Amino acid sequence: MEDRAGLSGRLSAAAYFGCVALLTLAGAGLAMLARPAFAHGVLRTLGLETAPQAQSRSFYATRVAPLLETRCVSCHGARREKASLRLDSFAALLLGGKHGPVIRPGDVRNSELYIRISLPASDERAMPPSGKPPLTEDEKTVIRLWIADGASGALQTIAGAPPPVAEVKIPQDDPAAAQKQRAALAQSVRRLQARFPGTILYESRSSANLEVNASLLGSAFGDAELLALLPLQARITRLDLSGTAVTDTSAPVLAGMPALRSLRIGGSRMTQVTIAALRQARALKSLTIGSGQAGHGALAPLLEKHIAIYGGGDAP
Amino acid sequence: MAEGGKFDHLGLMNIQADTRRHFLGWGAGGLGAFFLNSTMAGAAPAGENAPLDFTRDPATPLSVLPPQFAAKVKRVIYLHMGGAPSQLELFDYKPVLARFHGHDCPESFVKGKRLAFIQGIPKLLGPMFPFHRAGKSGTWISDRLPHLEKSIDDLCVIKSMKTDQFNHAPAQLLVHTGDPRTGHASLGSWVTYGLGSENQNLPGFIVLISNGGTTANAGKPLWGSGFLPSVYQGVACRSAGEPVLYLDNPKSVSRAERRKVLDAVDEINQQTYRTFGNPETVTRIAQYEMAFRMQLEASDAMDIHREPAAVLERYGAEPGKTSYANNCLVARRLAERGVRYIQLYHWGWDSHGTPVDKGLNVGLVGRCRETDQPTAALLADLKARGLLEDTLVIWGGEFGRTPMWENRGGQEMEFIGRDHHPNCFSLWLAGGGIKRGISYGETDEMGYEIARNPVEVRDLHATILYLLGFDYRRLNYPYQGLDQKLTGVKPARIVSEILA
Repeated sequence: MEDRAGLSGRLSAAAYFGCVALLTLAGAGLAMLARPAFAHGVLRTLGLETAPQAQSRSFYATRVAPLLETRCVSCHGARREKASLRLDSFAALLLGGKHGPVIRPGDVRNSELYIRISLPASDERAMPPSGKPPLTEDEKTVIRLWIADGASGALQTIAGAPPPVAEVKIPQDDPAAAQKQRAALAQSVRRLQARFPGTILYESRSSANLEVNASLLGSAFGDAELLALLPLQARITRLDLSGTAVTDTSAPVLAGMPALRSLRIGGSRMTQVTIAALRQARALKSLTIGSGQAGHGALAPLLEKHIAIYGGGDAP
Repeated sequence: MAEGGKFDHLGLMNIQADTRRHFLGWGAGGLGAFFLNSTMAGAAPAGENAPLDFTRDPATPLSVLPPQFAAKVKRVIYLHMGGAPSQLELFDYKPVLARFHGHDCPESFVKGKRLAFIQGIPKLLGPMFPFHRAGKSGTWISDRLPHLEKSIDDLCVIKSMKTDQFNHAPAQLLVHTGDPRTGHASLGSWVTYGLGSENQNLPGFIVLISNGGTTANAGKPLWGSGFLPSVYQGVACRSAGEPVLYLDNPKSVSRAERRKVLDAVDEINQQTYRTFGNPETVTRIAQYEMAFRMQLEASDAMDIHREPAAVLERYGAEPGKTSYANNCLVARRLAERGVRYIQLYHWGWDSHGTPVDKGLNVGLVGRCRETDQPTAALLADLKARGLLEDTLVIWGGEFGRTPMWENRGGQEMEFIGRDHHPNCFSLWLAGGGIKRGISYGETDEMGYEIARNPVEVRDLHATILYLLGFDYRRLNYPYQGLDQKLTGVKPARIVSEILA
């Protein structure tokens, strides 16, 4: 009774703040016991515990993390934390969410994360939730094997894992760089494009390489016309002379084209004289010839240089 | 490309750019735009959807433009088997399904599912023809395609294609325009819009039809240009008689006289264009001019009489007829002449088992006989001429067929057939940039669902555009407030695993 009276009377400032601090600590302690994820979070913030980290070349970093990133993190990440679960770091993934850990290393059957992604799409607990495409079998396998092997952040390869799917990298276009590369020949290109409309084209929007399809001009394109293209030879990578009037006179011109990778001469007036000269063509990778344009012997030196030869015979 | 045009190009661009929506938009959003413009000054209009510049002289709308990045292929030959061939009789071998042949199908196959004709619990139907492994690649193939089998090591067979359409017309539209409704631009239109056509005397996008008589199902919208300028639509050509009806001059009209008529029409059209500024008028002038040039070139390109007898025999082509074989041979001739996109349709694969010709045991056998040899001859011919290196050949239907025996109206039927099945179907690709002699994707043991590596139609589209040198996100066209894309608004995936 006396104590009561004392309390309801005056409490010293120190005692009051002491009480509050004690209660806060007790509350925090209880919360930490009830929610281990929270406890680890606090300890890590205070610097009393180091967060586990995955190695950059680990199976986790190369295979598991990218998958979680594309399929899960939009709801379980920095922007949204549904069920207080974040899957955007190795540490967060191991911590779990408000219903406890989602990964039990080595125990796939009791790992909530795996259970959820394996549920049929009709189940309302299935992840990703309705409307979003389920993980593919390969993606599920990657996660299953990783958990079964101990959910490690160090292990680099896991036997039986499906091979990774390469993302296609779209080349960045850089019009300024292309323009710079094209500058030296730009004037000649424009002049010759006007002379031979529709036959001279840049390989792509970001390239200075040129492709020439003279086959469209047929017999109107001969040795003199080919000679006119010489100023562009440093950049010509593909040249189609099928059905043109170009003759063996042009053999040295073709053999000297430094960038020429692909050449078609079927139906032109070139013979094995030109084919023999093409041995000297530095960059040539592919040659298409017409029927009867080369005896078998004439092609041997080109085949030795691993130049792919097409045509030549009567079609199959 | 724009300089030296016959027309007031800048004026045309202005008219194209101004719409009522723009006007209203400026009223409401103008101030906001000023604000944004001042705060975000210097921010380039870049990003993954930044459209590329496809400005051309309107008088030569099909002039060639370079691809966005170095392309693997320059042209496409698409062999569409209209009606949807059964993957279970051709490429997708299912021995387990064969074991359960004649059993009632599991309830889960039909319960709550939407099927075109099947009712109640149908029976399972095992593969009708024997399968074997072929080529060095050991690709599974049935005995119905003995000629194609010789080229099997050049093919990449995708067994895990899927669609969300189970009726022919919308499914065909999805395959060819990226959308099940009419009004969208077809794949061929996108490609000719993006790259133009090498040969200015022929259309850049040519359609050849066999075994149809009529243009069955979805019809002409399959090669329509949708919201793209109409000059990019496909031109359906006939393989017998005049390639394009009324292309030749009428009797007793000379080419010079025709030229005079065209000049007069041209003058009137130009007046109309100056008055109304409708770019479609310019398209019309360009089309008249192309038709005039085509009088010489098209007849030559389509004329398979000029082919040696040995070549005709390899294809099984007979000049003067309308057949798939003739069309395959014409396709090769068009590819040689720089036509960008060549679309073949061969109808009659809809093997329901209702009439006899729609039976798997009769109709499908017939379609295989009509198409197997020509398809194989086309592949071999392209390869021998060095054209397969920079051509993409695609073969496929619009969806697959059920592992269940169709029981229309719940009745057992006289002939053997399968119902429409959007969940999985097979398709193959061959040519530049594609892996050779591989199978990609798997269906489950019963051939009902995809088990591995699903490929959506939009993924296929993204992959085709990639091979042609385009990022599918950047080959776009502003229409109705959206940067329209072939792949639609959902994200697509370039199927990297099948790229060489």
